Amino acid sequence: MIELSHVSKRFGDETAVDDISLRVAKGKFCALVGTSGCGKSTTLRMINRLIEHSEGDIILDGQAIDAYDPVKLRRRIGYVIQHTGLFPHWNVARNIGLVPRLLKWSATDVQSRVAELMHLLGLPVDEFGHKYPHQLSGGQAQRVGVARALAADPDILLMDEPFGALDPITREKLQDELAKLQARLHKTVVFVTHDMDEALKLADHLVVMREGQIVQQGSPLALLQSPADPFVESLLGGLERGLKQAALTRVKDHMTSMGPTLPSQSRIPGTFSLRQALSMMLRDHSDRLTVVDQHDVPVGELSLRRIIKEAQLDNGNPRE
Amino acid sequence: MSLMDALPTPRLRWEGWHPNVVLVSLSLIMLAAFWFFDVVSMAPNRIVLGTGYGALEAFGWPGALLATLLLSFIGILACQPTHRHYRALLAAVIVIMALMPVGLMASSYLLIDPERPQARLGLGTAYWVVLFVLLLCLVELRLRLNLTRIWPTLLLCGVAVVWWLCAAFGLETLALVQEFKARDQQFLSAVAQHIKLVGIAVSVSIVLGLALAMLMRRYARLQKGVFAVLNFLQTIPSLALFGLLLAPLAWLAANVPFLGQLGVSGIGTTPALIALIAYSLLPIVRNTYTALEQVSPETLEAAKGMGMRAGQRFWQVRLPLALPVLLEGVRITTVQAIGLTAVAALIGAGGLGTFIFQGLGQAAMDMVLLGALPILMLALVVDAGLGALAEALRPGGTR
Repeated sequence: MIELSHVSKRFGDETAVDDISLRVAKGKFCALVGTSGCGKSTTLRMINRLIEHSEGDIILDGQAIDAYDPVKLRRRIGYVIQHTGLFPHWNVARNIGLVPRLLKWSATDVQSRVAELMHLLGLPVDEFGHKYPHQLSGGQAQRVGVARALAADPDILLMDEPFGALDPITREKLQDELAKLQARLHKTVVFVTHDMDEALKLADHLVVMREGQIVQQGSPLALLQSPADPFVESLLGGLERGLKQAALTRVKDHMTSMGPTLPSQSRIPGTFSLRQALSMMLRDHSDRLTVVDQHDVPVGELSLRRIIKEAQLDNGNPRE
Repeated sequence: MSLMDALPTPRLRWEGWHPNVVLVSLSLIMLAAFWFFDVVSMAPNRIVLGTGYGALEAFGWPGALLATLLLSFIGILACQPTHRHYRALLAAVIVIMALMPVGLMASSYLLIDPERPQARLGLGTAYWVVLFVLLLCLVELRLRLNLTRIWPTLLLCGVAVVWWLCAAFGLETLALVQEFKARDQQFLSAVAQHIKLVGIAVSVSIVLGLALAMLMRRYARLQKGVFAVLNFLQTIPSLALFGLLLAPLAWLAANVPFLGQLGVSGIGTTPALIALIAYSLLPIVRNTYTALEQVSPETLEAAKGMGMRAGQRFWQVRLPLALPVLLEGVRITTVQAIGLTAVAALIGAGGLGTFIFQGLGQAAMDMVLLGALPILMLALVVDAGLGALAEALRPGGTR
């Protein structure tokens, strides 16, 4: 668990981070979002003491981070940065094994751990182990970056715009992989990004920052439903906000049982989002969809009226 | 696409015919030099200036024809530059180099009267031009064949061995060989002394230079001062620096008996080493400092974030990444020091410069060559060797 209470950072007269408090529960994914220069990276780097905070307390697993030796602290926190920071003179396997070697693991342990991680991230050891970073594509290099951060199995993972330099397709693919990885590993993650869609997709807890302060924090759905001010609303996409919210809700959770009328021709799996359901309605000129399970067996139905009603309910408005 | 690309290409070449212009011109230059300049010179004794002889007189009809064919061969192969042809060209260049002393043997047979043991053969302009141009061909071929520096160096070493064997057995009439035979012991000790002076000066400079570069990284204020002093040292002409050191060192040797016993004196090895080190420091410090500073801050930040201690970051990340540029500094410095050490002979430090200055004094150009050629060879070998090392140490085989 990570807890920041009333933390500030000043560089001379300038205040980079101004009295922020936040809590990331164990196993949760927290995204810090904001425009550049808002202090989100500084906040992240204060957690592994690459930057020392000026005021307040940062608590890691019940102990203030000032009490740790900074080097030992960093070895138990995974760290991923935008341009990977891989060592160009080391091959992939050696790069990944860095922290375990620093922790004096035996050579065989390091080797098997490296193989395990490369397998986990879809990089076959035989093909990639001996390659050098300059021989990798951007996506492969960042996978190696993630593997290196996970090498010593840290409980905490800090990620500083890890996918910022990738092309949109690779970025989306890595986001999906990270989501899957997180569902398996349950690390406590602090993730810095300026891409709100990325944050909405990955985070359990969203923290919006501006000029060194936290403007609003909460679950993605909570922020979408009631943004605190026009800044947060514009970050969340203004008019697109409704669709983004629909993207976070699953069809399964809002379907009704099959009505007496004939089932609709359009079928949608229950795991899809309401946003995808809306898109399908527009495409098929239909205001009703049949919801199916993974075996394509109808289990319920979803109507446009229902989606709109649910949105009103979620926003706290009374039913008609 | 630029405007030039859009215009139709002028039809200067036949379709599919792209000769390597560099090698073709070099081949023509060699042919011209061979036919229009003196190939060898012959002098009746050591001091008299020799008379020059052209290709026909020096090699005879068959020899001149063979040489012409070999030199044209390079131009002809270069007209169709495929990978195979480049390899053949490389072989041809090496063969021509190895055959050069054989040509001299022929001239010696044709021109030197066995009745006159004082007569000696000198290398003519054509020989030097062809040798120089062949080296240029080698550079071009190295780039075309994408070879590392080490290969041409090894081939040249092979050629040098052939030359050495020819000189030892069968080229007694060559002036250079006669000069060497007259003082072979002296020559070997001069080479040893030369290498010793360069070795000590460069090693001390590396240690001092590393220390200075580290100090400058720690105390940024030092940077301007250190570079100002080193730049200033570099501007003093070498002879002047030797002269300037003479008086204070002589005084020290006379007044501090301990230093006198150590061998410190106004002339000789001590002032030579001091001057050589002073000159070597600038390139070493500049390259070391730049090399250490140019390591990407992101990589170092990552190293810190991963939990590497300061020492681990320096030895495992910063230094290995800086090494190629750092070695480049050592290479430049060593080549420079090899040349400067020649001048140190003037203040009695010994080395190959001794022959150069003695030869100049006696107006015996062959003796000057006896000093100058090994210096050139040393410089080339060190340059190629350290260059190849730096290349091999590039991170992850990047270029």
